[in-house]
Amino acid sequence: MFQSLESGETKLSYLAVKICLAVDITLSLKAFRLFFNHEQIRTMSRVKRRTTHPPYWHVLKNNQRTDEKISSDNLRFVQEVIQDKYKNKSPIKGSDLDIEKTEWDPKTKRSGVIARNIGVQHMWEKDGKKVICTVLHVLDNHVIRYVPPEEYAKSVIGAKMFKNRKPLGCLVVGAEASNPERFTRQYCSLFDEVGLLPKKRLARFIVTPNAALPPCTPLTAGHFVIGQAVDVYGKTIDYGFQGVVKRWGFKGGPASHGTTKFHRRGGTIGTGRDKARVWPGQKMPGHMGSERRFNRGLKIVRINMKYNIIYVKGTVPGPTNSIVQIFDTALPRRKFTEAPPHPTYFPPEDGTLPQEDIWDSSLHVFGSPSISV
Amino acid sequence: MLRRAVLQTFRQGLAQSFFKRYAVSLTETTVTHQPIETSDEAGEKSVPTQKTGDESGNTVVVAPPEFRFIYPEFLPDPAMERRNRLREKLERMDMLQRRSVIEIPEFYTGSIMAVTVADANSPNKFARFVGICIQRGGSGLRAWFILRNVVDKQGVEILYEMYCPLIQKIEVLRLERRLDESLLYLRDALPEYSTFPMDMEPERRLNNSVVPINPLKVKLRPRPWLERWERQNLQGVEDLNLPQRFYDRAEKVAKPWEKYDLMLHYRKTIPAEEQEKIFAEVHSQLQQQELKRKLRRRRGSDNEY
Repeated sequence: MFQSLESGETKLSYLAVKICLAVDITLSLKAFRLFFNHEQIRTMSRVKRRTTHPPYWHVLKNNQRTDEKISSDNLRFVQEVIQDKYKNKSPIKGSDLDIEKTEWDPKTKRSGVIARNIGVQHMWEKDGKKVICTVLHVLDNHVIRYVPPEEYAKSVIGAKMFKNRKPLGCLVVGAEASNPERFTRQYCSLFDEVGLLPKKRLARFIVTPNAALPPCTPLTAGHFVIGQAVDVYGKTIDYGFQGVVKRWGFKGGPASHGTTKFHRRGGTIGTGRDKARVWPGQKMPGHMGSERRFNRGLKIVRINMKYNIIYVKGTVPGPTNSIVQIFDTALPRRKFTEAPPHPTYFPPEDGTLPQEDIWDSSLHVFGSPSISV
Repeated sequence: MLRRAVLQTFRQGLAQSFFKRYAVSLTETTVTHQPIETSDEAGEKSVPTQKTGDESGNTVVVAPPEFRFIYPEFLPDPAMERRNRLREKLERMDMLQRRSVIEIPEFYTGSIMAVTVADANSPNKFARFVGICIQRGGSGLRAWFILRNVVDKQGVEILYEMYCPLIQKIEVLRLERRLDESLLYLRDALPEYSTFPMDMEPERRLNNSVVPINPLKVKLRPRPWLERWERQNLQGVEDLNLPQRFYDRAEKVAKPWEKYDLMLHYRKTIPAEEQEKIFAEVHSQLQQQELKRKLRRRRGSDNEY
């Protein structure tokens, strides 16, 4: 009885790394699905897969206090202070980059991007075949800070990640600017150096030093290239406490023919002979979903530069309107052969606007004549 | 205040359209023509584009209330978990792009249509199918409709996606409505009610401004049926002549309180204010496309002579 391994996870979450230091988890490629890996399931069953609270080193983010009774004059003053503090910064141009002009090479790791999954749209290829494309809205991403490799290797996560390999830098990117009054002072101080409005969402992207970006650099949909493969990382749909049939795909029991109270239950949970106990990792009802997953190798089929939208062929973990992270793919055969916008895309300095809607060559453009086979 | 007045007129228009649509089902015998304005009418009249002044003096364009019947796929799926305004707007832009290439005419369940599709396996590379529209659904680019016909004594139903680029032409041969929104009972009806000749010519209507409702009552074949038609309040079916126990069971199973459930209906529909915004957005483009098509048709008829 073979049961397939869960797809996707190559890098363990930091919590898992803490607990399973000795275990060497290899890339779960499709070939390994043939083997029922008891060892991995047993060790991973003790790993806490989800939390409702952030890690202990995060500063408190959301403002806990209730509305204070401030007079309207003072409120206006507070608004003025906020506006003065966060005056608009001019966008960074490609020629103004502080770091030396670096060359792209196939081993470069570029930054990723924070986006929102805004839904699914059906499109058609040039031979009439329908494809389901996920629409990803690249939010207002800005680089908050760059942590060089030597410094990042000293941090808690960096030490674990680069224990046996060469350290890489870390780019902290924020998305979705919002009112500073919603957040605590400690959280807003993270953005003070840069002078940006505090962002609702932060993410870290591991980059090679030649792809580092200065703080306040905007990242847009133009960061990606039409036809490239991306990996999308998100938290899956939260199904709550689910039974064994939905959670693990068990068959349950017969619906009729005299069955007494055995329609959606698990059945036997052990042999009774071998080991004489329930093995850790036994599949049972429990919380399903809300887990971090990657969908790898998704092809970008359309980019809308005006609205910062990427259409990606396939589906993405998580429900509609959830936040995801998009990276250049890690799959070795689908990586870049030509240089992408490196380190990121900057609009042309001569003021010419880029093409608004870029389509992949395999897709049928809606304004063009009907397909005749 | 003027904005409120505009909203009121829109809502009145909605209410009028609603009652006009359902008036026939209340009266049984008369063959009445219900004045649902067609797209042609709406385009030609200057009144429906209610350009009323705002407080600031800017004109507010309001699409005619009939748009929600003529273009129902522009309204998004009401399920709140999956709604996103930006994505719906982009989808509408794509829909308008497609509509600029091909004419997707106004049609209702019960209309007889002909669809030409590019087909690699056909001898002419194009396949034409004529049938009666028995159901229509979907929203946005996923909008679909099902055509039914009986070919060589075999019932055939084909689901077409309205915005699929393989579709070359959609013609409405007879524009009319029936007493029900879904004609799935034609599967259990006598085959003559679903048979239409493949070489049917488009019929020209005498009164172009009104979509007639065909009060035809269909005869069903004897049981067994595919569904329990006695439980579905069908208007377009003749008396089913079933034993009383069927009707008793239907009464027990019925949910008569649903028509009073305001939240249920609210969750199944898009609110009037949003509908107004959506149609105002697409109104001008749709009008332009209609005008271009009319000009092309007139030029085409002139070139014939």
